[in-house]
Amino acid sequence: MTERAGPRNAWTSLMTSDGTAAAPSGEGLHLEGLTKVLGTSTVVDGLSLTVPAGQMCCLLGPSGCGKTTTLRMIGGFILPEQGAVRVNGLDVTALPPEKRPTAMVFQSYALWPHMSVFKNVAFGLRLRRLPRAEVEARVDAALSLVNLGHLRERRPAQLSGGEQQRVALARALVLEPQVLLLDEPLSNLDAKLRVAVREEIRDIQQRLGITTVFVTHDQDEALSVADQVAVMWQGRIEQTGSADAVYRLPRTTFVAGFVGQVSTLRGSLGPHGVRLGRGGQLVPFTGGALAVPAHLQAGEWDVAVRPEDVEVVEDQGDLGAGATARVVRETRRGHFKEVLLQLGAPEDRQGPGSGDLVRLRAYVPARPGPGGGSARVSLRRVLLYRDGVLAHEIGDRAAVVRTGGSYEQRTGRL
Amino acid sequence: MKVPLRSLARRTPPAAALALLALFILGPLAWLLLWAFAGTWTYPALLPQHWSLDWWGEVFSAPQLWRSIELSLFFSPVVTAVSAVVCLPAAYAFARSSFPLRRSFLVLLFSTNAFPKIGLYLAIAGLFYSLHIMGSAVGVVLIQLLGTIVFMVWIPAAAFAGVPPALEEAARDAGAGRVRTFLWVTLPVAAPGIFVAMVLAFLASFDEAQGTLLVGAPNYVTMPTQMYSLVNNYPPQAAAVFALLLSVPSVALMLLVRRHVMGGALARGFQLH
Amino acid sequence: MELPRSAGPGRAPQPAPRVGARRATVRGRLSARVGPLALALPPIALVLVFTGFPILIAVTYTLGHLGGYNSAISAIGLHQYSAGHRWATFAAYRNVLGDPDFQADVVITIWVTAVSTLSVVVIAWVVALYARFSSSWAARLLSSLSVVPLFVPVVIASYAFLTFWGPGGFVKTMAHAAGLPGFPVLSYTMDGVTLAEIWVNIPFAVLMLTSGLRNVPDSLVEAARDAGAGLGATVRQVLLPLNMLPTVIAMTFTAISVIGSYTVPYLVGPSAPNMLGVEAADTFSAFNQPQQGEVMAMVLFGLAALLAVPYLWATWATNKRSVR
Repeated sequence: MTERAGPRNAWTSLMTSDGTAAAPSGEGLHLEGLTKVLGTSTVVDGLSLTVPAGQMCCLLGPSGCGKTTTLRMIGGFILPEQGAVRVNGLDVTALPPEKRPTAMVFQSYALWPHMSVFKNVAFGLRLRRLPRAEVEARVDAALSLVNLGHLRERRPAQLSGGEQQRVALARALVLEPQVLLLDEPLSNLDAKLRVAVREEIRDIQQRLGITTVFVTHDQDEALSVADQVAVMWQGRIEQTGSADAVYRLPRTTFVAGFVGQVSTLRGSLGPHGVRLGRGGQLVPFTGGALAVPAHLQAGEWDVAVRPEDVEVVEDQGDLGAGATARVVRETRRGHFKEVLLQLGAPEDRQGPGSGDLVRLRAYVPARPGPGGGSARVSLRRVLLYRDGVLAHEIGDRAAVVRTGGSYEQRTGRL
Repeated sequence: MKVPLRSLARRTPPAAALALLALFILGPLAWLLLWAFAGTWTYPALLPQHWSLDWWGEVFSAPQLWRSIELSLFFSPVVTAVSAVVCLPAAYAFARSSFPLRRSFLVLLFSTNAFPKIGLYLAIAGLFYSLHIMGSAVGVVLIQLLGTIVFMVWIPAAAFAGVPPALEEAARDAGAGRVRTFLWVTLPVAAPGIFVAMVLAFLASFDEAQGTLLVGAPNYVTMPTQMYSLVNNYPPQAAAVFALLLSVPSVALMLLVRRHVMGGALARGFQLH
Repeated sequence: MELPRSAGPGRAPQPAPRVGARRATVRGRLSARVGPLALALPPIALVLVFTGFPILIAVTYTLGHLGGYNSAISAIGLHQYSAGHRWATFAAYRNVLGDPDFQADVVITIWVTAVSTLSVVVIAWVVALYARFSSSWAARLLSSLSVVPLFVPVVIASYAFLTFWGPGGFVKTMAHAAGLPGFPVLSYTMDGVTLAEIWVNIPFAVLMLTSGLRNVPDSLVEAARDAGAGLGATVRQVLLPLNMLPTVIAMTFTAISVIGSYTVPYLVGPSAPNMLGVEAADTFSAFNQPQQGEVMAMVLFGLAALLAVPYLWATWATNKRSVR
């Protein structure tokens, strides 16, 4: 922000007065049992969500999961069949968009092509019949917030995608909304720009301390900017929590598969390891110190393993610890490698059909690692699912066995 | 030597065909233009023997011709404005919402347009007699209005449908109600299509001869209806001069909307949705 | 500027009690269906009153009902057939349809319509293809030129045509210069009418097809060329199937415009046999036989309705394919 007298200092002082983000005010956004039926399909199904004031919540899910419909119900563009939307304690469910204290940044930006950048941003202020000087001052403040002060007389068609996106953001922010809604705001930008703009959005959101809902199908985006991630699937929220919590302890197998990479296999537990696949070999926990309680050793589980939780070392004959595995494929990913491992030494294979193909994905350092096709594998951490729902986490870092009960306590829902 | 000849042979037929097409389209108009400035011109001379502006003076000094110009310049804007007021809200409704009978209405509009104009005018004449609006200005406006309705609904409907709903939602989001959203966002963005429709409505009204002749004569003789009698009762020079005058608004409007018409604003209107 | 602690001006939401909220929602849904209907009604009502109703009245008139709304017209008409107390009489239809002159008019109307419609569509395809695949100035000029007739009043076009192709016109003059004194004069002939109809109707078809061809992505054409298709095969197997709808629309509207035309055959055509539009009008006013004139209009409408079938079918099929 450059120095300038006038109202822009109000922005500056607001955002930097005590060196921290503006304190959140009110109670934030509450969705209570929102339901939307289109034709015969229930697009959003009894969805409840609370976004604390000043926080950024990402609605994350595959296309068609109902996340955009939910956002549009918050904005007032669709009326829900059931449920309520509350903003800072006020029920806005029946209000049309123009009466709601929400502002939306559209996926297509929806900049009005017949107006200049300035007029686009000033539109809502002019509707409110503010004095001309105040309109100018607030538009300038909003434009400089997104670093576009120099483009105010341009038409949208003369702007790059990233610039259009920032105009749309300024247009939403200039109205001082209580809730900011972002509908896949980065999907039309190229990869490099996407990272830069998402950081910019996060930065502005934190400086203004504005309650924000951000819809995306890109888990990378969600995990990197959100205070809170709500993973949606088939019109319901599968899990809500911090980015770390959702990544580390995905509540369901869907979340595990959608957020980050995971190998999910049928398996059972032994005293010091996991037996993956039917009749497969035992893969020990790294270090071997971890003891699995007896009651978990009964029955089968869906075992989910994150690639970074797979320890891979070079196969040095019988001296190494861990199960033998064959490297099926290596993919260079920059500073690390992704390897696809097939459990069982080559000589163990008794031909096709003699059991499941047990394959694990692992991340290993990019420097020359287990080459030559064979390796030793152990597991640092696994997640155990029954009926698609997380039951236990077993890992070396925690070095404890978490039960479903304690998990429920941690996240408040299961 | 063979190759260039063959490529020439391949290129010549299209070039010749295109030149013929250009002559076919522009020739009659150019010929008419020459007649307007001809003093004497007898067959088989390719150009007039004498050039003259006399007929321009003749036309401008004939009071009934002036009167018809006045009438045309009165009726066409009125008809265009009425047509816009009646049809544009309907066009928006057709483009943006589904309502009972929507499809039937579209087909009805189309089928009344398919009914031969002349048969329709004859049928309307009976009704107009009963309503005592035969020979009245209201009758003329009504009969010309009917010829504009279909494209005043269809072309703007396509233009409205081409406005991304997100643009309107963004305006609602910024605090504009339905009416202001329509006036400040939808209408300006759809403007090219609406403009094309209004120009076509103006021209349809300006060119309408059959119905106006039937309903308006002898009280209201507009330029094209005047043209009928000119063609039969005056030397070609007078008709040519008058025809050129009649073309002025058309040419001016064509230059205004040419870009939008060529851009598909008209074509989009004819694909019923 | 304070943000976001204070709500902006006019931005504070009004507290809405839940009951009131639900009522507003129900009312919103009702108005969402009725509102658009109300907007759509004015032109529909206008068309129903001033087109649908007169056509119905005219139908009853042709069926021999001379009273009511038809009394004004029947008071001055000659050779009228009355249904009397029966529900209808087809005597006027028999009278008109049995007339050999009328039959000649029907034949010539259909012939002019068929020839000019086909010519217009072929010419429009050529112009549109040329405009689509050539970026030369000639292509741009040609597509601009072919839209010119749209903006020329039909009366003027007909008159210009008459002088250009007439006895002292450009064509005859050129033929004379080329030593062809026997070259035909096209004014007051049906060939002249056909040519003039082509002239008048070229722009619409060109616009439809230019727009249709522009909507075919380059990649589809390039893929066809890549697969070894020449220009002909590309047009036949890619462009034509993808542009059936614009082609059908162009054909339908051209044919309907030609078959019901009045000004062109009235000014350019011979006195008899001529196209049905002219004959219907003459029968109505010049011969003072309004009933017979209306019967001819009904025949015209029947023919136009037949022409409209492919259009309605094509748009229907297209809409079914693309889910709205």
